[in-house]
Amino acid sequence: MTPADVPAIRATGLRKAFRSTDGSPVVAVDDVDLTVHPGEIVAFLGPNGAGKTTTVDMLLGLTTPDAGTIEVYGTSPAQAVGQGRVSAVMQTGGLLNDFTVGETVRAIAALHGRSDRVEVVLDRARLTDLAGRRVEACSGGEQQRLKFALALLPDPDLVVLDEPTTGMDVGARQEFWRAMREDAALGRTIVFATHYLAEADEFAERTVLMNHGRIVHDAATTDVRAAYGGRTLTFRPPAEVVDADGIDADWLARVRGALEPLGVSDVDVSAASLEAAFLALTADTEPIGAAR
Amino acid sequence: MTATAGTTAGTTATTARPSTRARTSPRPDMPAYARLDLRRQLRDRIGMFFVVGLPTFMYLVFGIGSDDPVGTGNVAMYVMISMAAYGAVTATTSVAGSAATEQVMGWGRQLGLTPMRPVAFVATKAAVAMSVAAVPVVAIFAIGAATGARGDWSDWVLSGALVWLGSALFAVYGLAVCLVLRGSNAAGIASGMIVVLAFLGNVFTPMSGFMLDLGRFTPLYGYVALARFPLTDGWLPVGGRDPLWLPIANVLAWTVIFGLVALWGVRRSRART
Repeated sequence: MTPADVPAIRATGLRKAFRSTDGSPVVAVDDVDLTVHPGEIVAFLGPNGAGKTTTVDMLLGLTTPDAGTIEVYGTSPAQAVGQGRVSAVMQTGGLLNDFTVGETVRAIAALHGRSDRVEVVLDRARLTDLAGRRVEACSGGEQQRLKFALALLPDPDLVVLDEPTTGMDVGARQEFWRAMREDAALGRTIVFATHYLAEADEFAERTVLMNHGRIVHDAATTDVRAAYGGRTLTFRPPAEVVDADGIDADWLARVRGALEPLGVSDVDVSAASLEAAFLALTADTEPIGAAR
Repeated sequence: MTATAGTTAGTTATTARPSTRARTSPRPDMPAYARLDLRRQLRDRIGMFFVVGLPTFMYLVFGIGSDDPVGTGNVAMYVMISMAAYGAVTATTSVAGSAATEQVMGWGRQLGLTPMRPVAFVATKAAVAMSVAAVPVVAIFAIGAATGARGDWSDWVLSGALVWLGSALFAVYGLAVCLVLRGSNAAGIASGMIVVLAFLGNVFTPMSGFMLDLGRFTPLYGYVALARFPLTDGWLPVGGRDPLWLPIANVLAWTVIFGLVALWGVRRSRART
């Protein structure tokens, strides 16, 4: 029913100010223009207080902008939410502790009028085995997966994720993004806010950097990286020159000597990252909720 | 394996994308939500102890076997109405209070992302609160009927209806307290204060003198006096009589007060976001 060229999100001149506790106004979002096309995967990056969550709230119709306009699939955010075209995993969205996982999904499914999708989303968020567990007994990562399941209930065209992997351990985080990638491949538009730079780096095609309520950079993720991050070349030394103390100093000196004529300087030796080590050491544990 | 079959079916279903597919606006299934919410409330053991267990216990202690005449019935009937009122009020207070707290603690944001309208939410919560309130009324009236509470049939019907319907006022009270106090323990404070108000309101023990004069101005006094009116015709256990306008004026005044406070609380919580 909607022409393909209607953007998933079109925001112009968005502005939102709050009163802080001492009464002085704080501008959370300041003149933000943003267009996201259907099927895009966009990361919102920025330090705490950069205005990410406020922008997300306006996208979802939970907050009305002081100035500017925002359209989601050509309609108002509230209307898009009403039609089930947009949904979100919110940082501050709460769950009821005394519902079970299954009841939580059934309750929200009822409000969407989509009780038919309960089993599908439980399965997609790998919660089928946890359906009978009370929310208060779930770990932070499991609660986050539950919020993700709730977001999938209306079968939305646009999913907004605000710090979606908070509370997940490294394995659960990778598992979560794997599931998201599958969803994106099916054509969902995904916008997520995060402060894990690695997540944006790995997952988003486009990165929007926010600071002090303004968009300071908006480009393809690879361009953002190239413009500010430089590039890193890595290689693996032959096994015989590596021991527990590190790389053999003579060999390293020869590498430096060989690279110098090519204009390479600052050769640096670093160990594998802690994250990589953690993953390698815990890799044999089954991914959470894998087929049992 | 059936689980795998389910996955495949789900995945193919979602492939029917992207936005070219026509969107029908689905209708929220409020009865299904109400059922789940009601079940959650009824399974809260501590909450239900204060709603059903405690007032039943107090009826058993103070009411059973008291066959002295009161109005058109007996003391057991008088105590039964009082305790049913206390249970019903505790129920509406805690359901409405927890509804306000849920909103403040973030479940409201979750609900805000569904097509449900706020007015449907309020109606559903009211239905849940009144259903929970019916539990102590039915239970204590049944126990009363079985253990010698005595009165005209019209006393039973009118008192039961007044206890049940009047408890709605305290849903507004619970909402008001929780919107003003916020915080996760606000609902507990609201229903705790009901105990104090019940003493002041002449619900538990008959009061006299200054305490009675003071009590007449407290919110539970008018409600419970009205519920007992079919039985007592306004006569008090310690002597003296309240004219009918007094409890009615009390209930109306407190309805306005709680309503205004709740409204102010809603405005204030909106202004923050």
